[in-house]
Amino acid sequence: MAVFLDILLSGVFHAAVLFLVAGGLQLVFGVQRIINLACGAFYALGAYFGVSAVAFAMAHGAPAYALLPVLLCAGLSLAVIGPPIERLLRLIYDRDEGFQLLLTFALMLMSQDIFRFIWGSTPRTLGNLSLAYGQVTVGPTLIPTYKVMVIACSIAIALGLGWMLQKSRFGRIVRATAENRSMIEALGVNSGRVMVMVFTLGTVLGTVGGALVVPTAAASLDMIVELVVEAFAVVVIGGLGSMRGALVGALVVGIVRSLAVFYYAELEMLSIYLIVIAVLIFRPTGLFGKPLE
Amino acid sequence: MSVVIETRGVGKDYGEFRALHDVSLTFSEGEVVAIVGPNGAGKTTLVNVLTGLLKPTRGDVLFRGHSIGGIGPVRLAQMGMARAFQLVQVFPQLTVFDAIAAAVVSQQRRSLDFWRATRSIAAVRERVAEVAAIFGLESRLDWLASYLSQGEKKLLDIATAFALDPTVILLDEPTSGISSSDKRGMMDTLMEAARKAGIKTLLLVEHDMDLVAEYSTRIVAMTEGKVLADLPPGAFFADPHLAATIVGKPLGQLRA
Amino acid sequence: MTRRQFAIPCTLLLLVVAPYVLPPFYVTLMLPALAYGIILLGFNLLFGYTGLLSFGHALFVGLGAYTVAVMSSRLGFKSLELSMLAAIVASIVVSIPVGLLCVRYVKIFFGMLTLAFGMLFHSFLFKFYNLTGGDSGIQVARPSLLGMGFPDLDKTAFLIGPFYFYCLALLLLLGYLMWRIVHSPFGTHLRAIRDNPRKAEYVGVRVHAFRLLAFVISAIYGAIGGTLLAIPVGLADPELAYWTHSGILVFMTVLGGFGNFFGPVLGAFVYIALQDQLMSLTQYWRFALGVILILIIILFPTGLMGLLERRRNRKAPVVDRGDA
Repeated sequence: MAVFLDILLSGVFHAAVLFLVAGGLQLVFGVQRIINLACGAFYALGAYFGVSAVAFAMAHGAPAYALLPVLLCAGLSLAVIGPPIERLLRLIYDRDEGFQLLLTFALMLMSQDIFRFIWGSTPRTLGNLSLAYGQVTVGPTLIPTYKVMVIACSIAIALGLGWMLQKSRFGRIVRATAENRSMIEALGVNSGRVMVMVFTLGTVLGTVGGALVVPTAAASLDMIVELVVEAFAVVVIGGLGSMRGALVGALVVGIVRSLAVFYYAELEMLSIYLIVIAVLIFRPTGLFGKPLE
Repeated sequence: MSVVIETRGVGKDYGEFRALHDVSLTFSEGEVVAIVGPNGAGKTTLVNVLTGLLKPTRGDVLFRGHSIGGIGPVRLAQMGMARAFQLVQVFPQLTVFDAIAAAVVSQQRRSLDFWRATRSIAAVRERVAEVAAIFGLESRLDWLASYLSQGEKKLLDIATAFALDPTVILLDEPTSGISSSDKRGMMDTLMEAARKAGIKTLLLVEHDMDLVAEYSTRIVAMTEGKVLADLPPGAFFADPHLAATIVGKPLGQLRA
Repeated sequence: MTRRQFAIPCTLLLLVVAPYVLPPFYVTLMLPALAYGIILLGFNLLFGYTGLLSFGHALFVGLGAYTVAVMSSRLGFKSLELSMLAAIVASIVVSIPVGLLCVRYVKIFFGMLTLAFGMLFHSFLFKFYNLTGGDSGIQVARPSLLGMGFPDLDKTAFLIGPFYFYCLALLLLLGYLMWRIVHSPFGTHLRAIRDNPRKAEYVGVRVHAFRLLAFVISAIYGAIGGTLLAIPVGLADPELAYWTHSGILVFMTVLGGFGNFFGPVLGAFVYIALQDQLMSLTQYWRFALGVILILIIILFPTGLMGLLERRRNRKAPVVDRGDA
């Protein structure tokens, strides 16, 4: 039982982080109709920057339990890269989606070397800093408090996003822009501004995800390419453009991976791909996706 | 005159909504049938059933005695029925030659030829030239479809349907998007093309009642999923109530 | 057009003369270019001519590589022709079911499905160590060409000599075959599918079936190219099937110009040359490639062939040259 809980919680933790990245993808796809192959780069950036930020903070005498806030701030502060990248993508909004994919692919290529330049090729870790939060008892097992905090953060962000999209004025505008961009402009909304904000939000979700995960995993260049496939699995299973889908998809991927790693290590990613293929065949719009035009 | 298309008690439901009620029609060789009616009357549904796109919920639709319910556009083309749509459909990066050739290749059953250059096949070349000439597009053969004028695109769209050498052609509002002064010219071209191409039956969905009066041999009026009337133009326009229901107001002078 | 009629024999001459004129290093560099040329001829049938963008095409490249590896070093069949035949068979066997599933979908979904299948294969290659050698891959033993082993030639001499001409001959042969395919009635139907699948149906084109055929043909070309790719390296490794490798294939195709028959092959050569030059200039060559790709997308979407083929006034109707 303890083992099962361990696996489950580990999966939920992974899902919590995946949700953030996938949520970012969904937002950007929903509004700009762009599939961002560089999402792994944002994730990795959050992780690397998180490591640097924490190292900086620690060197200046910050206490160990400032870890989570520092990481959050690090992730959030990376919002600055959103607008310039959106500007670049704006040039190809109306182009064939092959070009859009390629552009984000190019960004991904560039990011590999940019990060290598800044942080080097060896993975960067935070060691055991997260243990400063201790462990918490969940039923028969112990789980690092840090992981629980991250899950809580993710839930909070999910709720916040949900509230924003459903109840706030900005959220209404975002949803409307996703439905019909030209109509929104005819109604006097500056869709350019909406695009920048949505894209930045999507970026920040990715960087925060990377920052939060880094105490438990190393920041490495591999993240840039590996995360993309997982994030896509989440988006496909959940349904393109749906935030609810990102949540459910993330849980599915996180837990299945956790189970697979425990029972049959070879099947770790394989099981995910099989689920993706199955979903694409039997329910191509995913669990919550809207049918594409 | 032999029967070409027949619907027997065709009904089509979408859940609770009944789009077609018990429609039984026969279309024979030599007819030019106009299908008219207000929007939502079931014209499009009927046409989709007639062209094998929709499977009727009840009843059957037969083409030369074979059931064609839901067979799809490709099988339909093979069986000898072609269709052109209201909104002009082109192949943007194909030339006029290629577009017509695509249809000719289908009709000549050559699509699995991987080896010979399409242009080098005399049978294809000649047929494409023939079809293009009927529609006045012979000078445009090397033009990319996206550079044609709207009217030329329409002609090309219909030309590709004709190139399939069908027995029956169904045209969805062939003159929509054409300026009023050019409509008769378009209809004349169509009629002439049909004659030259040896098409036996023409079905038209049309809103322009003047054209309907002038060119059709028979009018099928739909309303609320039922056939309201099935008459030759003379009889149709002689009944003011009938015409008014379809058009919405009394008609003036019309040639019958 | 006379400029092309001039360019082709010239390029051919250059390619034939290269091993005698260039230093061995550059000749060995041309080997992957020739292999990618073959791969991309197939890829562009699917992308440029049928309108399907696959992000998992590297699957077939990897399949070809692993087939020749297994055939030559595990099963002891040295004949390259036999290995290639096996690779062709393998690619058909895999591409038919995968294709059947994938071609029912278009655009994003097709891209995602193919990516998933590609990664599925990668995962299989990577994880099933006992079968596939895991991340070390499987070695590729030097094959015999048309029954000849060239025992007196060392590896380099073999590669820049007989093997080079073998690859070149294959590229020319497969290129000629693809040229015929693309200009055939089948090719006309593929292009109709690309431009307007719905209308294509109404013109009697069997859209699903032909997409599948294009998929299978492109898979075959990919596998053949894959075998040629693995031989100089002497190794088939899982990274050949990784999704980023599929992305590079797209990069090369767009670099050369996917709207043109010769574009992708040109793209293969230019990419290999570019990558080599950049690698010698800086360790951050990926960054440079990324920048180049962005520039192409934004400024030169028709690729190098688009630049080379000077277009007349865009508004004027363009005379059809028989390609896309």
